[in-house]
Amino acid sequence: MIRNLLKGAQPVEENDSRWLLDPHRRGIPGLERMRRYDDDDEVDLCIVGAGAGGSVLAQRLARKGWRVVMLEAGPFWDPDRDWVSDEAGSHKLYWTAPRVIGGEDPVELGKNNSGRGVGGSMVHYAGYLPRFHPSDLRTETQDGVGRDWPIAYEDIRPHYERLERECPVAGQHWPWGHPHGYPHAPHPVSKQALLLWRGALHRGITMRVGPVGITNGAFGNRPHCIYRGLCLQGCKVNAKASPLVTHLPDAIDHGVEIRAGSMAYKLPIGGAGRLEGVDYIDGQGMRRRQKARVVAVAGYSIETPRLLLLSAQRGFQNGLCNNGDQVGRYVMVQGAPQVAGRFPEEIRMYKAPPPEVSSEQFYETDPSRDFARGFSIQTVSPLPITWAEHVLAEGHWGEALREYMRDYNHWAVIGILNELLPLPENRVTLAEDRDEQGLPVARMDYTQCDNDRRNIAYSIGVATDIWKAAGAQDMLTISRYAHLIGGCRMGFSPDDSVCDENQRSWAIPNLFLADGSVCPTQGSANPALTIMALASRLAAHLASRVAW
Amino acid sequence: MAWETPHHLPSRPGTQRPPRQQRGTTPQNVGRYPRFDVLSPEVVCEWDEPTRRVVLDRLHQSQGFRYFSEAELPCLRAFCDVLLAQSREPRVPVPEMLDAKYADGKLDGFRYASMPHDGEAWHAALKGLDFTARARYGRTFAEADEEGRKAIIRDLQQGNLQGGPWDRLDRGRIFSVLTRGVVSEFYSHPWAWNEIGFGGPAYPRGFMRFGDLSTQEPFESSDAVGADPVREAESEGLP
Repeated sequence: MIRNLLKGAQPVEENDSRWLLDPHRRGIPGLERMRRYDDDDEVDLCIVGAGAGGSVLAQRLARKGWRVVMLEAGPFWDPDRDWVSDEAGSHKLYWTAPRVIGGEDPVELGKNNSGRGVGGSMVHYAGYLPRFHPSDLRTETQDGVGRDWPIAYEDIRPHYERLERECPVAGQHWPWGHPHGYPHAPHPVSKQALLLWRGALHRGITMRVGPVGITNGAFGNRPHCIYRGLCLQGCKVNAKASPLVTHLPDAIDHGVEIRAGSMAYKLPIGGAGRLEGVDYIDGQGMRRRQKARVVAVAGYSIETPRLLLLSAQRGFQNGLCNNGDQVGRYVMVQGAPQVAGRFPEEIRMYKAPPPEVSSEQFYETDPSRDFARGFSIQTVSPLPITWAEHVLAEGHWGEALREYMRDYNHWAVIGILNELLPLPENRVTLAEDRDEQGLPVARMDYTQCDNDRRNIAYSIGVATDIWKAAGAQDMLTISRYAHLIGGCRMGFSPDDSVCDENQRSWAIPNLFLADGSVCPTQGSANPALTIMALASRLAAHLASRVAW
Repeated sequence: MAWETPHHLPSRPGTQRPPRQQRGTTPQNVGRYPRFDVLSPEVVCEWDEPTRRVVLDRLHQSQGFRYFSEAELPCLRAFCDVLLAQSREPRVPVPEMLDAKYADGKLDGFRYASMPHDGEAWHAALKGLDFTARARYGRTFAEADEEGRKAIIRDLQQGNLQGGPWDRLDRGRIFSVLTRGVVSEFYSHPWAWNEIGFGGPAYPRGFMRFGDLSTQEPFESSDAVGADPVREAESEGLP
């Protein structure tokens, strides 16, 4: 209770990342002194994937004295050298290796919802760090849809609170879900956020500034935000939270090795039905095996199921952990339609971070609507290429496209996140196509259900109504998706899930899943903070025993 | 409600010719911000080095083609020109930029199960455009007149093209696959930023004026078409 009375930045416990960074350079200092382990040296933990989940897990356990190696398929970024303040030039931040998409409502992958390289997709996420609601873990019981989690909100809450101090999260007091405050003050907002706020006010919709993982003022050696608006291109300032600045400096300082350019392709089973380590292809194309006592896979909702499926071997002919036919199922995305409004005055939405103000007023099931669960409302601010996709989506090309584009500075955009339901046939499998290493690529099939369609249609109506109330002269609507989650969910038995309530795979005692793939539902909150919080909880669980 | 009968200019394409650019370059030398040049030295000198390199390299696009064949070029150029309304020089060299993308094997990270890879889809679609133009007008797509090309693109957009090479492609998706590639290249070019008044890269200098008092940085300038196009449209006697 005392915590709610504490104002101002609160102490961060057991994480010195912000001080280990250099105030004048962006990359992690001292990498040449990073600890190295031999492949044959059986480490305590080998983590596949250096994103939101893997990085938090590594930092926590390194602090407990675990010897940890992380394998990351992509590069180790030096933001000063590698990242650009430019939309098209940021393509290398995405997982652009081939993948196949199918189903009736295929989900486009690549720039929108994937990451590659140390820091994962949090390198180019917008920066929103909301929590899930307590109801998200009980939708089956409360709303008759989705699936209950085998854990409760209270199991995650302390980890949310700790991570909000570590990132740190800036925003106004949050009235939805489990109400809470934030350690950093809300940021100043831009014209488009003010317009959204004005329209929402007219319609009786409550908005809040934040919550964003962006420093408001200096934080350790991390500078304050400079409001350049290119958050989705990688923060060259070190103001936006990603594992590259929030957890990996401390992890490396405590002996974690991050092996970039290392693509895991198989999890080999040795004696006693336990994993021996991880087979991977290193940056030189050599096939190697890192031995480990415990393995945690944190490749996210497509690569985690893919790695399990690629690891088919004796006893697991259809893929590791897949004897119950659950791997890759219930993969989810959020609906992410955007409604743009045109205003007489100049707006220039490319200024200030895209994540500014948001509302979760429509998050929970409302019996007066014709669908279960709900959606959230947020600012987004597409740069020219993405804005051109909006204009195209309404069918404009030629002179009309050019004319709409010349009007760019007069438009503001509302983004929606719809909770779409977990469905068994929405699934990641292996395609016949191969990647450049000769491994089968992932195929993702996705089809919406009626509840999903009704949710999306209703939410577009709400956003349209807000812009009308704000005085918009014209509108453009685009239907799209955002945020992957699920695919290897946690559950109550091997028949309904891939891992148990502590994210330990049902099939292999020393294999844990440490990313968003374990989530049985997704709410309509951006998933990054929850993925980090689950990894933090997993770390506490792993540290509670001497041997696994 | 005002929004139902928008009086601003974009919803009435063609009602007014945009002004000529006075500083810097824009595609076809038109733009809404005639005094704005994102490439002026006092702006570019504020960009960090890696960004400067990436953006300025787009001004020196190689002229040679490596992915598309000589025979495909007229059709590719004609398609890009109509889609982007680039009817005269200076043009953003979108065909050259697309060629570099596919020649360098740059992928977007997915392909539809119902479609070949994007690069192959382009080869098939260019054949398809000529196939349809020959069937309709007895000449290639590039040789067809402006109205004929537009009619074919409208049918492509509506998923109405079939037969020949089109049967290899998903009619519901091919338009979006092609156009996504074209506009991505066009609006990555700083000439297009000049046309639309986009402030461009902003590091290490950030932005400071985003709303309350002003929306313009010192290097940005006002919209020449008028701060209030509603009034402008009225004063010009537009309905």
